[in-house]
Amino acid sequence: MKKILNEPFSYVDEMLEGLCAAHPQHYRQAGEDGRVIARPGGAAPGKVGIVTGGGSGHLPVFTGYVGQGLLDACAIGDVFSSPNVEQMVEAIRQANGGAGVLCLFGNYGGDVMNFDMACEMAGLEDIPTKTVLVADDVASAGPAEREKRRGVAGMVYAFKMAGAKAAQMADLDEVARVAQKACDACRSIGVALTPCTVPAAGHPTFEIGEDEMEFGMGIHGEPGVWRGPIRPADVIAAEMLERILKDMPLGQGDRVTVLVNSLGATPPEELYIVYRYIARELAKLGVTIVMPLVGRYATSMEMAGLSLTVCKLDAELEALLQAPAECAFWRV
Amino acid sequence: MATFTTASLRAAIARIAAHLEACADELNRLDGALGDGDLGVTMVRGARGLVEAAPKLPDDVGMAFLQCAQVFTKVSGSTYGTLLATGLMSAAKLAKGRAEIPTSEIADLLGAALEGMMKRGRGNLGDKTVLDALEAARAAAAGLDDPAALAVAVDDAVAGALERFRDQPAKQGRARIFGDKSIGLDDPGMVAFKRVVEALR
Repeated sequence: MKKILNEPFSYVDEMLEGLCAAHPQHYRQAGEDGRVIARPGGAAPGKVGIVTGGGSGHLPVFTGYVGQGLLDACAIGDVFSSPNVEQMVEAIRQANGGAGVLCLFGNYGGDVMNFDMACEMAGLEDIPTKTVLVADDVASAGPAEREKRRGVAGMVYAFKMAGAKAAQMADLDEVARVAQKACDACRSIGVALTPCTVPAAGHPTFEIGEDEMEFGMGIHGEPGVWRGPIRPADVIAAEMLERILKDMPLGQGDRVTVLVNSLGATPPEELYIVYRYIARELAKLGVTIVMPLVGRYATSMEMAGLSLTVCKLDAELEALLQAPAECAFWRV
Repeated sequence: MATFTTASLRAAIARIAAHLEACADELNRLDGALGDGDLGVTMVRGARGLVEAAPKLPDDVGMAFLQCAQVFTKVSGSTYGTLLATGLMSAAKLAKGRAEIPTSEIADLLGAALEGMMKRGRGNLGDKTVLDALEAARAAAAGLDDPAALAVAVDDAVAGALERFRDQPAKQGRARIFGDKSIGLDDPGMVAFKRVVEALR
């Protein structure tokens, strides 16, 4: 393992300490063990709070998206491990401004079970909650089993749109409706070229040949659709787009936003090579791209590879996408 | 008529905690073969948390169970810890407001825990999980009102469940990924439950 760290077991806590020291205008540590990140000014009275949570190792996901017009609090687990229930309850408390709290997070077994329990406990404290799961990875299950899909980079759009709706002081049902609508509009798929190493484990999450790639891999190294020799950028991009369009057909006049996301080690140069292909192909179909994102938005430590997310817009989602928002990693 | 009180709960916690400390390495090793290897750590942390909470547990047995559930929600984000907390919380709802639970009702508490855990974990009986061990315990406890006889019957029943499921494949959770490789291996969650009930024998 070759990483810049002090102690594998202090990795997450030291990361959070640094994050808050660097950006005190966006982030504040809360909770008995500091594993909750909340807004520095506390919950906004009367505004629906939005909470997420999940394992570390994906910055800016999840913690980074706490910010104005985005999330209100986040529960943080160890690298690739679910936060515990108490941390989630504390995040819900921190986000509660009296109008209820939306829990918006990726569809992973441990996180689902722990948030389920946390919401039950928040209910005992008279904090109403609703839950929306992000399940955008088309490689993880077919259209007939969409509810089994993993949540990946599409959650950035769900955070953004639900956050914008909450900032308009909409009620909990409305914020949850928009979050669900944003999730339903997103499709993602990823490719990995190299694995990453969880600090406490000390060895790579999987093995892959020098000249191989894995198509459809999950952000924790979950097996993908196929593994084979690495192909040219346009061939990779074509298959990614094809699989997304098969799941969500697009045509003349449609408007979308597109995220070409680095899984960590892949440089922006390569992301732009892929974006160029996607933009050209969508233009051929008569599809308009609004506010594309190209960069590191949802990572998997130092994994090399990238993901493509396409989010289909209607007037409501487009306005929410373009509403002002600010965190340390993204400003609209 | 024998009853279960917060005092009985304190005595049980002391025995369970002492036994789990001794079993931690075994549980980590079993979980390492089929899961992420932290089951022993989860159980020992949970047991230590319970020992710490024990002196201050309220007389209302339901509220005492609720506080025990909260201990497990704090020590770990692991699925098993959350399932145990869920079971304790379900039992808490049934016991709420009472300082004495007749021994004959322990089967109902186990049944409530089982139902809550099945719902939360989206698990079924027959999947080779802690749920199967719990169901065996519930069935054995039904109709018994002598605490000592109940403890023996429950431990024997859980041992029987381990035996019955050993040569079946796991159908739930991370162990499921190992498929037929899990045949012949005990489910770590079932073993952890066995270590709890055998401490009370």
